[in-house]
Amino acid sequence: MDRREAIQRVTLMLGGVMSAPLLAGAMGQAIYGGESIRPTVDQASLIAEVADIIIPTTDTPGAKAAGVEQFIIRVMRDCYEKPDQEKFFGGLAKLDADSKAKFKKGFADLSLQQKNIMIQDATVYNKDFFVRMRELTITGYFISEIGATQALAYLPIPGRFDGCIPLEKDQKTWAL
Amino acid sequence: MNLNIDAIKDQTYDAIVIGSGVTGGWAAKELTEKGLKVLMLEKGKNLEHVTGYENAMKDPWETQYNGRLTVALKESHPKLSRDYPFNELSQNYWMNDSDSLYKEEKRFDWFRPDIVGGKSIMWGRQSYRLSDIDFEANAKEGIAVDWPIRYKDLAPWYSYVEKHAGISGEKLGLPQLPDSEFLPPFEMYCVEKEVRTRIEKNFPGRTMTIGRVANLSEAQKAQLGVGRAACQRRNKCALGCPYGAYFSTQSCTLPPAMKTGRLTLRPDSVVKEVMYDENKKKATGVRIVDAKTMETKEYYAKIIFVCASALGSTAVLLNSTSNRFPNGLGNDSEQLGHNLMDHHFRIGASGDWEGDLDKYYYGRRPTGIYVPRYRNLNGEKRDYLRGFGYQGGGSRGGWNRSVNELSFGADLKNELVRPGEWRMNLGGFGETLPYYENKMYLHKTEKDKWGNPLVVFDAELKENEHKMRKDMMNDAIEMLEKAGLKNVTGSDRKSYLGMAIHEMGTARMGRDPKTSVLNGNNQMHDVKNVFVTDGACMTSASCVNPSLTYMALTARAADFAVKELKKKNI
Repeated sequence: MDRREAIQRVTLMLGGVMSAPLLAGAMGQAIYGGESIRPTVDQASLIAEVADIIIPTTDTPGAKAAGVEQFIIRVMRDCYEKPDQEKFFGGLAKLDADSKAKFKKGFADLSLQQKNIMIQDATVYNKDFFVRMRELTITGYFISEIGATQALAYLPIPGRFDGCIPLEKDQKTWAL
Repeated sequence: MNLNIDAIKDQTYDAIVIGSGVTGGWAAKELTEKGLKVLMLEKGKNLEHVTGYENAMKDPWETQYNGRLTVALKESHPKLSRDYPFNELSQNYWMNDSDSLYKEEKRFDWFRPDIVGGKSIMWGRQSYRLSDIDFEANAKEGIAVDWPIRYKDLAPWYSYVEKHAGISGEKLGLPQLPDSEFLPPFEMYCVEKEVRTRIEKNFPGRTMTIGRVANLSEAQKAQLGVGRAACQRRNKCALGCPYGAYFSTQSCTLPPAMKTGRLTLRPDSVVKEVMYDENKKKATGVRIVDAKTMETKEYYAKIIFVCASALGSTAVLLNSTSNRFPNGLGNDSEQLGHNLMDHHFRIGASGDWEGDLDKYYYGRRPTGIYVPRYRNLNGEKRDYLRGFGYQGGGSRGGWNRSVNELSFGADLKNELVRPGEWRMNLGGFGETLPYYENKMYLHKTEKDKWGNPLVVFDAELKENEHKMRKDMMNDAIEMLEKAGLKNVTGSDRKSYLGMAIHEMGTARMGRDPKTSVLNGNNQMHDVKNVFVTDGACMTSASCVNPSLTYMALTARAADFAVKELKKKNI
C-alpha cells in the first residue's frame, strides 16, 4: 500500500471521502528548511517539456498547455525541503546531460520521439526524478483548468447525488 | 451617578456562554429564545457565515499547492501538521501551534479551532444517538460511575435538536443505535448495497447503513426558516458551507439567537476564569483577556454555560481557583481533568471489488457508510468490554489512483481520464473506557501568551482498547472477505488520544457529588449556577460520534437552567 492509498483509506475510515486537494495536503513531505532553489527560465521551460511528455496532448491539451510547470515549481519551492529540491533539480540536469550524451542536443531541442526515448530511459536511470516529476505532473495537470475541465469531467456543484447509476459510454473520471 | 456601577451594568447579562461551537451555539440559541440576555464569548476570531468561507468555492486551480502544507507551515505547526485536518485550505480555521502551547507526557493530538463556530465548522457531521446500552454500561459493569440519566431522559431532546439541525439517515429500529428524526438518507454506491446484503446474510445481527449525517439531504421548513439550503453534494463541508447545508453554529444556531436581539457575540475573548463569590456560593461572572488588546475584562451573569470543548472547558475550570475551590471550580470530587476519553480508530481493512465496472455515480456524497456496534450485545462476552462501529465506504478509482508507477505518455493519460476500479473499506471507531489516571492538568509554572497555564496531557489507550482493536481489524477483514472483496488487507495505523477529536469525560456527570463534577442536568454539584454541556460531561464514551448527544444535553440543560432561574433556585 503506497502512502496515497494509505491516506485515502484512513480518510474513508473517518467516514469521509477526501477530496483530491485535501489528499495532496495530507501527503506533504518531511522538513528540514533552508533557502529554496529558484529555477532559471531554462529550467522552468525544461520542466514544462518533460511534463508534456508525461501528460501529452491527445484529444485534449497536455501538461505544457495547462501550465503545469508553474505548479511544479511552486510546490517544489515551498513544500519540499532543500535536499529534496537539490535531488529534483539534479535529476532534471541529469536528464538534460543524458540527452546531450545520447543525441548531442539538450532535451528541449530533441524530437518528440527522442524525448520519449529519454523519458523511457529515465524510468530506469533517473528513476527518483522520474517518479517525483510524474507525480507532480499528474497532480498539477488534473487540478489545472484544462486538465480538470477538458481531460476530466468537472462538476463543481452537482446539486444531487446518485450512488449507483450506469456508466455512460464516454464517461470521464470525475475531476473532484 | 456612580460610573463604576454603570460600567458593571453594561457588563452584566442574564447568562454567559463560554465558547461558540456545537454546544455554545445551542446554549446561546436556547437561552436567548427563552428570553435571557446572553453574552457568548469565543477565544477565536470572527468567521462570517458564507462570506468568511474564503476557500469554499475555490476551483482546484485557484489553490497554491492543491492543499499541501508548505515547509514553513509544517515548521510553524509541528503538532497540528501531524494529521490531515490541518492543510493549505483549512489552516486559518485552526490555532497556531505557537499560540496553542501544551505539554505531552504522552502523545496527545489537540485540535483547537481559532474561529467563531469552533469545530462545528470542520466537524465530520456524523450524528448518532446513544442508547440505554451505553447509559447503563458503567453501572452494570462496575466501571467508573453510573450515568445520572437514561435514554428516556434524553430522547425528546434528541428529537428536538434533530428537527432543527437536520439529520439524514435510515431508520433501522436497533436497540443499540436508536433512530433519529431523519431527513431522507443519502444513497449507497452499488458495491455498498451488495456488501450490505452479504454482511447481513453471513453475519446475523450485523448490518450496514448509510452514515447518519448533519447535512440537509433536503431542506425542510425548520431549516429554510433560518436561511439554510439543501446540500449541493459538493463534499467540501470542512471549508464552511456557503449554502448553510450542514449543521454549524453559523448556519443553524447563531441566526435564531441573533434574531432574538438578546445575543451579544464577543470573539477574540480568551477566558481566564469563572469568578466565584464565596458569600453567595455562586459564580458571578467570567474574566477574559482580549486577544487583540491583551486587556483584562470582567463580565457578570446569573448563570454560566461552559461550552469551550471538553479540554478547553476543563482548563478554564481548573484555572478558576478560590479559597473555597483551591483545585478548580466545582472540583470537590477531585475528578476535574480525569477520566479523559477519546475514540480509538485508524484501524480496519480494505479490499478490491471486482465488479460494477459498468456502474458510476453522480455528485459527491458528504458521508460514508456505518456499521452499528454488534459486539458484546445480546449476551455475547468478548475478552474486552463495550464495542465499536465502523465507518467507511466504497469508492471508484479517480485520476489520483495508483497506476503503474513507471507509465507515462498518452497511455497514462488515457488510463487516468477513465474511472478505475471499485474498492471498499471499513475503519473502526472504538469505545475507550474512563480511567481516572487518564488525565489533563495545568502546568504549575508555564503559561501561554494570554497568561493561562499550559495544559499537560497524560493519557493513553489501555488493555481493554488494545484487545478490542484486534476484533476491529479481524472483523473488518472477515466481513469484507465474506462480502466478496478481493485482496483484503487489514491495517493498524495506531491511534493516539485526541486524534479522533472526540475528547470527553474531564468533568463528568454522576449521581454523587463525591465522585462526579456535574449532576444529571449538567449542573455543577458544587456551584449551582454553572453548567458544563460539552464533551467534558460524558460519563462514558459510547462508540458513536458524540456531537449530537452534546446538542441534546445542551438544549436540555438550558431548559432546566431557565426553569431553575425562574423558580429563583439559582
